Amino acid sequence: MTALSFTLKSPLRQRLDASPLVPDRLLGKSPKEIATLDLQYGNRRIAAADLFDIAGDDAESVRISGSPKLDFAGRGMTRGSLIIDGDAGAYVGMHMKGGRLCVSGSAGLYAACELKGGIVEICGNAGDLLGSALPGNKKGMSEGVVIVRGDAGDRVGDHMRRGSILIEGNAGMYLGARMTAGTIAVRGRIGACAGYAMKRGTLLVYGSPVSIGATFNDCGLHTLGFLPLLLKGYQGLNTCFSETRACRSRVRRLVGDLSVQGKGEILLVA
Amino acid sequence: MLIKLTGGTVYDPANGIDGQVRNLFIRDGRIVHSLNGATPDQEYDLRGKVVMAGAIDMHTHIGGGKVTIARNLLPEDHRADPEPRRGLMRAGCGHAAPSTLTTGYRYAEMGYTAGFEPAVLPINARQAHMEMADVPLLDVGGYVMLGSDDFFLRLLSAGSDQKLINDYVAWTIRSAKAIGIKVVNPGGISAFKFNQRMLDLDEKHVYYGVTPRQILKSLARAVHELGVPHPLHVHGCNLGVPGNVETTLNTISGIEGLPMHLTHIQFHSYGVEGDRKFSSGAARIAEAINANKNITIDVGQILFGQTVTASGDSMRQHANAGHAHPDKWVCMDIECDAGCGVVPFKYRDKNFVNALQWCIGLETFLLIDDPWRVFLTTDHPNGAPFTTYPHLIRLLMDKSFRNDMLATINPEAAALSTLGSIDREYSLYEIAIMTRAGAARLLGLTDRGHLGAGAAADITVYTDQADKEKMFTRPDYVFKDGELVVRNGEVVKVVWGNLHTVQPEFDNGIEARLRDYFDRYHTMKLDNFVINDWEIEGDGRSKILVHPCHQGTRS
Repeated sequence: MTALSFTLKSPLRQRLDASPLVPDRLLGKSPKEIATLDLQYGNRRIAAADLFDIAGDDAESVRISGSPKLDFAGRGMTRGSLIIDGDAGAYVGMHMKGGRLCVSGSAGLYAACELKGGIVEICGNAGDLLGSALPGNKKGMSEGVVIVRGDAGDRVGDHMRRGSILIEGNAGMYLGARMTAGTIAVRGRIGACAGYAMKRGTLLVYGSPVSIGATFNDCGLHTLGFLPLLLKGYQGLNTCFSETRACRSRVRRLVGDLSVQGKGEILLVA
Repeated sequence: MLIKLTGGTVYDPANGIDGQVRNLFIRDGRIVHSLNGATPDQEYDLRGKVVMAGAIDMHTHIGGGKVTIARNLLPEDHRADPEPRRGLMRAGCGHAAPSTLTTGYRYAEMGYTAGFEPAVLPINARQAHMEMADVPLLDVGGYVMLGSDDFFLRLLSAGSDQKLINDYVAWTIRSAKAIGIKVVNPGGISAFKFNQRMLDLDEKHVYYGVTPRQILKSLARAVHELGVPHPLHVHGCNLGVPGNVETTLNTISGIEGLPMHLTHIQFHSYGVEGDRKFSSGAARIAEAINANKNITIDVGQILFGQTVTASGDSMRQHANAGHAHPDKWVCMDIECDAGCGVVPFKYRDKNFVNALQWCIGLETFLLIDDPWRVFLTTDHPNGAPFTTYPHLIRLLMDKSFRNDMLATINPEAAALSTLGSIDREYSLYEIAIMTRAGAARLLGLTDRGHLGAGAAADITVYTDQADKEKMFTRPDYVFKDGELVVRNGEVVKVVWGNLHTVQPEFDNGIEARLRDYFDRYHTMKLDNFVINDWEIEGDGRSKILVHPCHQGTRS
């Protein structure tokens, strides 16, 4: 059995809604049914075979060629694996509940937004609002793990509720804004206004120094017993956060945002 | 264009026709006695079908600032209910606060041909009209809101002559192109801004020193004396407050025989009996309404599910904001002259209060004897979206279905309600009164809501089915002004509705005074406040229809 692969015949000219190309919706379909799958392409519908060369037979493992216009890839998937060879557009992994999604390039806006489970890995950079809530919604990512090998944009984890976001590069402004809970770890630098209006949750920041809002209270340097345990949980994910040195660090703990509930924390690794 | 509708079973309460087989003839958009021997261009065989006039929703929030705010507040309402382009219909979205186009299509697909927006703020009337003009297939009209505006409260607190108030009311109706006057929480919206969080019927406004009772009497008298057909449209004090049944009964007796329409009365019929200090006041309300012929009501039934409450009553919406689901809301002032509150809400059948609200609404429907004085509304979208009307009709027409539903709700609420012991079932004739003939009569629409000669050919044709919900969800045919617009529940032609208005007479002397007031206090000049005919009719879609007032002739 080889992975079911969708290779673009020519570069996308319009935005494509790739949400039907997930294991859940491809399993049990004959090659003919898959070829005639109706996809939304710009303002019209198009059969999958008109856009893609389709090969392979294992619908538990799907590969799609990447494009910055490829939206909603992996939307709502609950099982199996989906690999985007190259870049992905907006909303990659939206509402995903399980399985593993990997983007070998960069992802656009709202990657892993309102994620409910599973693992999303982005090997390049991620756009703004990674793991956040959709506009108007009150609850962002609520379970699962997001790994970004490159940099992430602004407002990572906006309204985040639970789960982990691990960023090996830098993150933009408003990191963890309006978070209710959950963990965001950033290996590189972060932008201004981190933790803006966060109620609970943890921002673990390795890059230094950063400007912190006045509504965060400095609680001094600590050796936190829970930190090695937390990071141990990320072993197996193959990120820099499970290296031995990272686990032994002392951290400066800043508590806030005191303008709201104020039970969140920013941990600056010393 | 000559059309013959052959052999349908006609329900036309305005002309006393209760289920008789008749032929109907349409000549150029109007119903006529006969075609005088001419051959019809089109003939529809309606044997075995039920024929009624097009339905009229006399209280539905389909235009104006609060609907726009509700749409802005709830993008999830739109994401969850997309309506792709289909046939003649353009794309839209929205469950509780649908887009204008989708509103029109969905109403037409249920056999509705007119809807009236009950909360047009005078200062925002232009926007409300523009929005309503964008609703296809539906005749529209608006009730303009007074009673918490500074100019009126100044007049009242200065003890001005009723004549002057009448002039102001008439001027406002004319310049805002309205068909009636609505008052929302009389004086309360203004009192809220003076830090009063409650205003009972006989409580004084701290600044103007007037009471809601005075405001209601003054406005009801003005509307009556001006001969505006639609009585004062009242959203009373204390909406949603347990025990407000007393306020409502006082409001009914306090109006002293003047015509008055109490809207979404379900929200105003709560008692304080029982362990939870929340009980049904529907029986007492129904008794009062049966006894007072000057009172009409619409129910504002709630139905379970997610919706959004949008109201001018910023005082009560602010008080209820804690119940918002999802947890976000808007309360705002509008141009220092009115207010607005938008609180999304989810009615739950297992929740005691919601379940009892559901019972109270249905009790109200079933205990009021005269279907000419009660109207079928959910106060869209406040009790439920208008798309639930067929379900509501089935609840009224089918006792066993109603009791099945009663068995599924919060048992404590079900046990407290008398609903299970009420045997009444509405007939098709009574449904036709509530949703057609009665509504047209209440609004003074002489050529709508009936099928007699001279009426506009707004006609809905259903297939009679045991399941009334199915029957009213999908009419076979809908004609709008004589054009076939819906066939088998699908829009087959898109036309644009008319704007219904009244133009009461008044003494022009008021304008000088108003001009000075506008120059001093308002954000716009008086000349920009007045809506001109061409603003409505200029694009060639909507026509303004003026219905007569009967000044001085009504007793």
